[in-house]
Amino acid sequence: MGICRVKFALAILATCAAGAVAQEVRQASVADCTFSADPDRFLSQQGRIRREISDRVAKFHRTYAGTGLVFADSAGPEALTRGEAATDIPQRNFIDAEIFGKLKKLGVAPAPLTTDEEFFRRINLDLTGRIPSADDVRAFLADSNPGKRDAVIDRLLYSDEFVDRWKMWLGDLMQVTSASTNIARQQQGRDSFNAWIFQSLMDVKPLKDLAYEAVSASGNTYKDAEGAANFPLNASTPMGPIQDNYDTMLARTASTFLGMAYYDCLLCHNGRGHLDQISLWGSKVTRTDAEQMAAFFSRLRLPRRPIAQNVEMPGSWDVYDQMPGGGYDLNTNYGNRPIRAPIGTLRSLTPQYRLGDKPPTAGDNWREAFAASMVKDPMFARNIVNRLWKQLFSLGLVDPVDTMDPKRLDPANPPPAPWQLQATHPELLEKLAAQFVGMNYGLREMLRFMVQSSAYQLSSRYSGEWKIDYVPLFARHYPRRLEGEEVHDAIAKATGVLGSYVVYGDKTPPVSWAMQLPEPAEPRSNGAVAAFLNSFLRGNRDNQQRSQAGSILQQLALMNDPFVLNRTKVSASPTLQSIAKISSDDAAAQEIFLTFLSRNPSDSERQRAAALLKGASGAARNAAIEDLAWAAINKLDFLFSY
Amino acid sequence: MKDRFGFDGSKMTGSFFWNRPQLGRRMFFRHMASAVSGYFLMPSRPMETIARAAQTPKGTAKKCIFILMAGAPSHVDTFDLKEGPWTPAAFNPTSFGDVRFPQGLMPKIAGQLDAIALLRSVRSWAAVHQLSQTWVQIGRNPVNGLAKIAPHIGSVVSLELRQQDRDKTLPAFFSLNAGGSVAGAGYLPPEHAPFYVSPNGAGLPNTTHRDGAARFDSRYGLLMDLDADLRYGQNPLGPAPVEMSAFNLDAVKLMYNSDVDQIFNFSPDERLRYGNSTFGNACITARNLLHANKGTHFVQITFGSWDHHTNIYAPNTQLTPMARQFDNALGTLLSDMRNDGSLNETLIVAMGEFGRTVGPPNQTNGRDHFLQQSALFAGAGIQGGRAVGSTDDRGFDTIDTGWHRDRYVRPEDIEATIYSALGIDWTTVRHDDPLGRGFEYVPFAASQDLYGPVHELWG
Repeated sequence: MGICRVKFALAILATCAAGAVAQEVRQASVADCTFSADPDRFLSQQGRIRREISDRVAKFHRTYAGTGLVFADSAGPEALTRGEAATDIPQRNFIDAEIFGKLKKLGVAPAPLTTDEEFFRRINLDLTGRIPSADDVRAFLADSNPGKRDAVIDRLLYSDEFVDRWKMWLGDLMQVTSASTNIARQQQGRDSFNAWIFQSLMDVKPLKDLAYEAVSASGNTYKDAEGAANFPLNASTPMGPIQDNYDTMLARTASTFLGMAYYDCLLCHNGRGHLDQISLWGSKVTRTDAEQMAAFFSRLRLPRRPIAQNVEMPGSWDVYDQMPGGGYDLNTNYGNRPIRAPIGTLRSLTPQYRLGDKPPTAGDNWREAFAASMVKDPMFARNIVNRLWKQLFSLGLVDPVDTMDPKRLDPANPPPAPWQLQATHPELLEKLAAQFVGMNYGLREMLRFMVQSSAYQLSSRYSGEWKIDYVPLFARHYPRRLEGEEVHDAIAKATGVLGSYVVYGDKTPPVSWAMQLPEPAEPRSNGAVAAFLNSFLRGNRDNQQRSQAGSILQQLALMNDPFVLNRTKVSASPTLQSIAKISSDDAAAQEIFLTFLSRNPSDSERQRAAALLKGASGAARNAAIEDLAWAAINKLDFLFSY
Repeated sequence: MKDRFGFDGSKMTGSFFWNRPQLGRRMFFRHMASAVSGYFLMPSRPMETIARAAQTPKGTAKKCIFILMAGAPSHVDTFDLKEGPWTPAAFNPTSFGDVRFPQGLMPKIAGQLDAIALLRSVRSWAAVHQLSQTWVQIGRNPVNGLAKIAPHIGSVVSLELRQQDRDKTLPAFFSLNAGGSVAGAGYLPPEHAPFYVSPNGAGLPNTTHRDGAARFDSRYGLLMDLDADLRYGQNPLGPAPVEMSAFNLDAVKLMYNSDVDQIFNFSPDERLRYGNSTFGNACITARNLLHANKGTHFVQITFGSWDHHTNIYAPNTQLTPMARQFDNALGTLLSDMRNDGSLNETLIVAMGEFGRTVGPPNQTNGRDHFLQQSALFAGAGIQGGRAVGSTDDRGFDTIDTGWHRDRYVRPEDIEATIYSALGIDWTTVRHDDPLGRGFEYVPFAASQDLYGPVHELWG
């Protein structure tokens, strides 16, 4: 799409480098681009773009002519390449043994380790969704303690910001919304759902218990003490018989907690004839097998209280299991799924877990029985560690994360040819799952284990020739675009200008940090900020996934949105005010980089930034500081975590 | 009502909407006989084979304006008028040939009826707002596994038609006044995602720099200088930031761009001509976008809410003012596009996500959710001045389906119609989806028949 422009712009920069001005630029060849449709029109359009860019560059040159500014051939990616050589990477746990072992076997060199600057910014973002302050960066760099990285990890894991960030992550996972396609949880239900997640994180609750509670919860969805009851509400499926609810509950639960979204397919039809190319396990599962799993939910009832006067908690849902009875009746001929018909004389299915666990009796609570089987299922631990891995490494050991195939994950029992083991590192996945169980399913413990590894702490810079085949080897760290909440909070923190957003409903106090918003539909009270956040594709926790794709709207927002421009003002920003007071141009330039980009500038960066400030005073110098702040926010190493 | 294969779906309660590729032998061969000449193997997905036999897209349009009448308008008061003692005199029911239309409620559209075909045999699958709104926009059941990756119809149009464009200044798919969740590009590349705007006639937001163009120039030069290594040449961070910088160049091209400004800036007079409403502004913008030929092919306009459960005929609230806004804007749009000739190559579709109850209003003087509905079609060579399909005297059920498939028209069929009008093979199956299953533009079949375009709209 932008290839020709890229090459073309490169030509401009090359000629700038040589010190030539606009004339050379106009002669830059566009012969590389092959547009055969209408060459004259294309060239005139390219000519216009060329002129625009050259005008801007020329203006910039004119502004700083005679300042002694040296335009080096290229900036020299110095700031991002300083670091130790990748000769001796310490192996800190079995993650490193697996990752580096495979790399060595294949003869692929890993990237070097992160510099302290790279690591510190990345770990702050990954664990808390916030960039560090300039003071924090300075302190970390100056710290001579050889265990300082581990110390930072621990500090961040037990911070308040960690709870905010992972409440957002669990909210995405369990689809915490006030209104979605099928469910009107309302603000009260959303808030009690979030309250339960928040408390679980504060209490360091094992994820096994969290999952068990979510699946088996009963109670009223508006009550904080019964907030987990909001998860079974995800089963609500209108315009169909109640069996559609049972099916949706299984599909959601299996996808969320077992990584097995193919149950959604299997509840309509057998795997054979549909999943044969995709899932070895799935290809052998019948619709009846899947319905026997759904049968665990055949006592689930979700009545809603009317929205009327004299009703306590109107509009709330009361989640419970109807006992005795239940059973998955095979007697539907309408709704969201195909006809369910008796199989011979079998008219109703009783619960049967996929691994052959002893079925519950009529007197047992069936959802609790499912939950117990579910957390013992090897897929539970595998699914959680895989999702955490994906969050930290940008690529799951199994990806997409909800397509896990139980018959292709055990290296001790490999699938028959032509099937292959599914994970990029099958032994590693099994070991991580076992480690997670051994850590009592601790979220913080597993995150610590992963981020302490050298594999996580590799740089995203790669000095050799990079091949796409290396991607599943994790030979480098993969940059990820910041989420909308992280962009918003980074700008707010770096400029020191915090907003206050009223959140829909009366239970939640106003928030200043986007990462504290209870759902992506907020802040409903501030359309401009919501639009800014939405340009970064937060999704809706329903039928639109969160996405890290780029877009034109994001770029327009970063360059021109009042959210940014209101904050890149010395008059409004406490941090810019204190930077403005720094009389040394070099030191002021450095402070900009530390504040916005969490790193020191390279020598050439510092020179350029300082030159902008040189000779200016008062309002003009303030304007230069504002320009540097704006440029820093628009730099790609602001928008990406690398 | 039996379909032409003798299958009577009316005895079933509720609705069907799942793929059922395994037909009985008899039904399969009936389909084969009707759709295909010659011998075909019976693979594991017979409906795919049948669907892909002999079809030719109409290809009469290059552009589409899709108006989602969110909240579901009452069909018996708009596109499928059924009169009763409840009908306000102000509606002035009038016959235009065989078409009965509320001329008093929507006079401008009444004046353009010769360019409009009203499809009256449409039936929604589910009378649930969010569910059906999504259904209509992705052209398939949002509850099934495929919906996670399914793109908006506009994103598929973008994917298919984008490559023909010389001028790609603007995205191919715009979504105006979306407000809330709209289906996105699904698994397709992000350049096919909808570009969201709520136009007010004062320009495209964030395309000027509040601190001034000169300040922007100097800032941008500074940025390019400081960030060159991450944007051009050997990027140490890899390909993701390079893609982002391409979006940045596209974004900059929209700034201080007089062509783009002309699209999004219009005078108070122009706004007045279209009724001075957000819907009117969106219609002006859609017209300008498509007219500019800068790469846009599909514009969705969301206009609502039509969810009139109470007091539907109150003269100053509810249906009447909504319909007037609708009429002012769409009527003027049709007139403008006929005058400049662009209507011939632009398909216009206006529909809600389902219909509303028929006969006398309910106990709160309103109408409730109902599966039977209508859709308005214009442009792209469609034969206007008529209704396709018809309902009984109350608008309760279809009695004449109006097309060769002889059954209710479903959102999937409307999706196929849009693709066909734009020259896109609606039976396409892509094999680049992350589920590894294959992604079909239009789901193959309902329980007893294929989905396909309503070519009868073209006469």
